Amino acid sequence: MNRRRLILSAAGAGLAVSGFAGTTRGLAALTATDDELAYANFGLATEFLLKDFYAQAAAAKLVGGPAARNLARGGFNAAEHAAALGTLLTGAGQTAAVEEDFTFAWPAGTFAKAQPAAAAGLTITQALLGTYLSAAGSISIASYRTLFASMSANLAQQVGALSELAGGRAVGVSFPAAVDVQTASDAVASYLG
Amino acid sequence: MKRITSVLAAATVVVALALSSTAGAQTTANPLTIYAAASLTGVFGAYDPAQHYSFAGSNVLETQIKNGAPADIFASAAPLNAERLYAAGLVDKPVTFTANRLALIVPKSNPADITSVYDLKTKKVKLVIANPAVPVGGYTRTVLKKMALTSALANVVSQESDVKAVTAKVALGQADAGFVYVTDARAVSDQVTVIPIPAWAQPRVRYEIAVVSKSGNKAAAQAWIKGLLSTKGQAALKNAGFLPLPKASS
Repeated sequence: MNRRRLILSAAGAGLAVSGFAGTTRGLAALTATDDELAYANFGLATEFLLKDFYAQAAAAKLVGGPAARNLARGGFNAAEHAAALGTLLTGAGQTAAVEEDFTFAWPAGTFAKAQPAAAAGLTITQALLGTYLSAAGSISIASYRTLFASMSANLAQQVGALSELAGGRAVGVSFPAAVDVQTASDAVASYLG
Repeated sequence: MKRITSVLAAATVVVALALSSTAGAQTTANPLTIYAAASLTGVFGAYDPAQHYSFAGSNVLETQIKNGAPADIFASAAPLNAERLYAAGLVDKPVTFTANRLALIVPKSNPADITSVYDLKTKKVKLVIANPAVPVGGYTRTVLKKMALTSALANVVSQESDVKAVTAKVALGQADAGFVYVTDARAVSDQVTVIPIPAWAQPRVRYEIAVVSKSGNKAAAQAWIKGLLSTKGQAALKNAGFLPLPKASS
């Protein structure tokens, strides 16, 4: 590997590691509309909710093997998404929520068995996926769109894993529906408040 | 005999008055003067009716303390007001003692047919809010911004000086809707309907309290704050609908 290739390779690795943190830092100079920031505010709180869901599901030891690894990975993804959205909001001049701002409510029995737990997780991930699809399709700032499209791709994987855990298909509908923030907010209100 | 009876009766009255005075000496002989956010009116008055209170918007009380008002304690509905006084050396270090949430209230008759906060975007609503200098006014604007509903500000018919004034206007049917703390909504629950605001759109409502530096009764003021932070004080706040001490109060 010559010196030029080495430098390019190192730069590529750096971008990959920093992920969207670098992208969202760059958004600070851009002017975001309230509508665009509403996607991020809802997404941030709901990613915290999803992270808590995965933590509760893992603690309940409902599944083992690959399914358990999917739950652990989902929690990691939710934490990364929350960090990226928090950076985005801070860069846009807003006070980003922190996990401690919320008191999540899990109905009794949610984590008693894999099926009801997966159903709760599906409600949350589908709401997030729908919101992120809306954001990716409507936001004016290109780097925002990229972020939300990327998170949509990851959420679709989480929906597939949870759907399979709930007894459904891992690969679902061809065109998942985009939803507005209000609809998604109503869907998760019983858990998020 | 009649004279003796009169003297005994008079003596009884004097003794009774003395006993009464002694019984209340610890709480009423030298009551504290507590400047507190308007949203604390009900709970503080019920928790300890023996003290002297001045309730108003936290920004107004902050200005009064800056101007030398003789307060012993300052309880603010936003950290900013207490922290500014602390930075100026006018109060001791403030502590967070409770939290709250915002809600939208509409009159029971609901003339604008509001069933969701999002109706503020699509319906012509006579909205009443607090002015931006008072904490609840700032919190209201945070909610509207987070939910992309700032267009509703065009429908504001009145900006009030504190949350009690907003609550009263809606309860009396002088406006279609208003943003208040859930604790204020609770106090007029027979006159208004509460429309919840989603948790993700809630501002971080934190109350801070501090002893005023020039207080002539600092030990008692510190003890009063300690009592408010105790299990009993926190229970009083919880019973009034306030939230427990926040896990993170940045």
